[in-house]
Amino acid sequence: MDFSLTEEQEMFRGHIRKMLDKFGGTQLAREMIDNNPENLKKVYTTLAELGCSGINIPEEYDGMDLDALDLVPTFEEMGRSLVPGLFMETSALVVPILKKYGTEQQKQQYLSAIASGETWISFAALEPFNDFSPAGIQCTLVQHDGQYVLNGTKTLVPEAELADAFLVLVRTNQEDQEDGLSLVLIDKTEELNIEKQSSFDESTHVAKIEFNQLVIKEDQIIGEVDKGWTQLQEGLLYFNAALSSYIVGAMESVVNMATEYAKIREQFGQAIGRFQAIKHSIVNMKVNLEIARSLSHYANWVVDTDEFDREAAIYSARTYATEKFIEVSAHNIQIHGGIGFTEEIDCHLFVKRARYYDQYLGSTPFYQEKVVASLGW
Amino acid sequence: MDFSFTKKEEKFRTELRTWLEANLPEGWLEGKRDLPEDLDEYSRVLRAWQRKLYEGGWAAIAWPKEYGGRNASLMEEIIYHQEMVRVKAPPLINYIGIHMVGPTLIDIGTDEQKEKYLKKILTGEEIWCQGYSEPGAGSDLTGLKTRAVKDGDRWLINGQKVWTSFGHVADKCFLLTRTSTHPEKKHRGITVFMMDMHQPGVETLPIVQMDGHKDFNEVYMTDAVATDADIVGKVDSGWHVLIALMLHERTGIGAELFTLEKQFNDTVELAQQYKVNGKPLIENPLVRQKLANFYARVRGSLLNYYKNLTTTIKNGQPGAETSIDKLVVTELNQALSAFAVEIQGHQGVLFDKDAVADPKWQHLFLASFGQTIGGGTSEVQRNTIGERVLGLPKDMGR
Repeated sequence: MDFSLTEEQEMFRGHIRKMLDKFGGTQLAREMIDNNPENLKKVYTTLAELGCSGINIPEEYDGMDLDALDLVPTFEEMGRSLVPGLFMETSALVVPILKKYGTEQQKQQYLSAIASGETWISFAALEPFNDFSPAGIQCTLVQHDGQYVLNGTKTLVPEAELADAFLVLVRTNQEDQEDGLSLVLIDKTEELNIEKQSSFDESTHVAKIEFNQLVIKEDQIIGEVDKGWTQLQEGLLYFNAALSSYIVGAMESVVNMATEYAKIREQFGQAIGRFQAIKHSIVNMKVNLEIARSLSHYANWVVDTDEFDREAAIYSARTYATEKFIEVSAHNIQIHGGIGFTEEIDCHLFVKRARYYDQYLGSTPFYQEKVVASLGW
Repeated sequence: MDFSFTKKEEKFRTELRTWLEANLPEGWLEGKRDLPEDLDEYSRVLRAWQRKLYEGGWAAIAWPKEYGGRNASLMEEIIYHQEMVRVKAPPLINYIGIHMVGPTLIDIGTDEQKEKYLKKILTGEEIWCQGYSEPGAGSDLTGLKTRAVKDGDRWLINGQKVWTSFGHVADKCFLLTRTSTHPEKKHRGITVFMMDMHQPGVETLPIVQMDGHKDFNEVYMTDAVATDADIVGKVDSGWHVLIALMLHERTGIGAELFTLEKQFNDTVELAQQYKVNGKPLIENPLVRQKLANFYARVRGSLLNYYKNLTTTIKNGQPGAETSIDKLVVTELNQALSAFAVEIQGHQGVLFDKDAVADPKWQHLFLASFGQTIGGGTSEVQRNTIGERVLGLPKDMGR
């Protein structure tokens, strides 16, 4: 029994933290609010130089061939600084799907480019007025004269500007509404019709993409045709484990902010941290953080195994993390008082991101149902 | 990250499991687990169980071999808890003797004290209780007023203790007394005595709890007698003894977390059995959401316990983080038992022999209110976490 990260993993965390601090931490998220991604691009280059983008990529594609758990320090540190971008979508969704279902040619084309930090991939799944279920996917990919033609609209596509390609979830079979979906990889070209959407979490950009008679080659389809939903669920296990790590890092920042503020802010001649109303509120935040961290570390360990509780562990890590992230970031504003409600300090960035992630690719009740279903109840 | 058990650990588990199957009271494994209501009879049955554990070498596995233990590793202790929870083993009547008094005596007791007490703790011949809380001194033990005064070659003890677990069956008491007064440093001037409970001047009165049980007692001392040989450590340095004692709680709240996990699984079973409008309750989306939420909390608490345990194994002793485990398990226990009662609908109010589900959730629900108080209230745990883990300043007035 040893439930901890290794010394190497912790050391690696140290390097990433130092680098992100040098770039100003949450300053990167603030620059995205101003539509200035220059430093973020530099950070991504540095992350790739440190090897982060190749951690879970096999050696033959220039990666380090390590496990999901080895990505945890990177995600937690990115979460601490609310680093935006497509690292999670690329490393924790596209890479596991390509590794499991991609053809040799697809792996060669994308995995090395991802490992070296050349290629970042976004995920286009959601559609206007629809939920994240098979029935909610109506973008059609139809075979026609030996070609595939894509039509439809995707919404809430993250960081389309930074993306080099998109993993797109499309309907290939009208009869089978339970599945009948497929995954395709589309490189970003001028002909794609991308329109920026406005979101209250301005540090993460989302866009609408309209596909109008876009011609797709067969070798752009990942894995088996019509089995995209099932394949995606496997990828989402890795993604949700990663997301829970990112959130743990963000929650840690929030707890630190609240703790440090309660030590220096004085009212009635006392540091407010001496009042139990404040102290106990921060302790509750800390307890939520530690439980989320334990769930998340386990989720990232179990995802690479075939343990019986693999799915339940990952979905419960996600629901717990998203739910508690909202709670702690709200308490953080309360503890900061009036200043917490301004744009001046970071409290609001965390509240907005918490809400964004809670509703990203499903919501808390959506994943709670997955927990229960995966346990066979 | 490694969740596996070594071969040696698995062998230990098998050995214990085999022993339990052969030695648990008759019918126990099949579900006949009713303990006698009559106090004397109850005590007799549990003393006999303690004796059996001793004879099998399972009475105090963490103690050194030379004192009758097994020198068990932390992981073996964990396995021991898991297996005891699995078979719902009878309660350990000498819990305080085994887990607190014994290890403390081994650590700082005199040779005579070890000789005199240790074996009797193991066999169940002498049951121990601890005299800590008083009506005016609960969470703040420095406020205790029970006095021990030197009178020739003996000490005379006067005062009152409250919330004394096992007090009604105990032969000996690990007693905190005030032996001198320091207005500034109140934790100085406290002395620990090992007091004989069977003497004139010691009176025990049971306290009836809100669940009808009588697990705790008030203990009144009127010129009760102890000698120098009964002092643990030195006069006036009882606070150090307390700290030494707390360090022995290596696996702390583990057994309660394993029990909680089992109770959660029982709750799921309950939701599968109960029907509302002809359909099993577990098909209700709101019930499913709540169960998913409990699943995350129960699993998360258990994993967090393993995380803290890993730190304990690495550092040799538990850190302040373990306060999180105590806080979480007791509050979660309260929420979960309330939920288990809630989903029984109008039948949820049926109590004791008429309760419709086993385990008796109604009892667990009522008993849960004591757990967020005993052993350090949730508020005290939050202060500990706030001050010792997060480094927040101490409360006003302290």
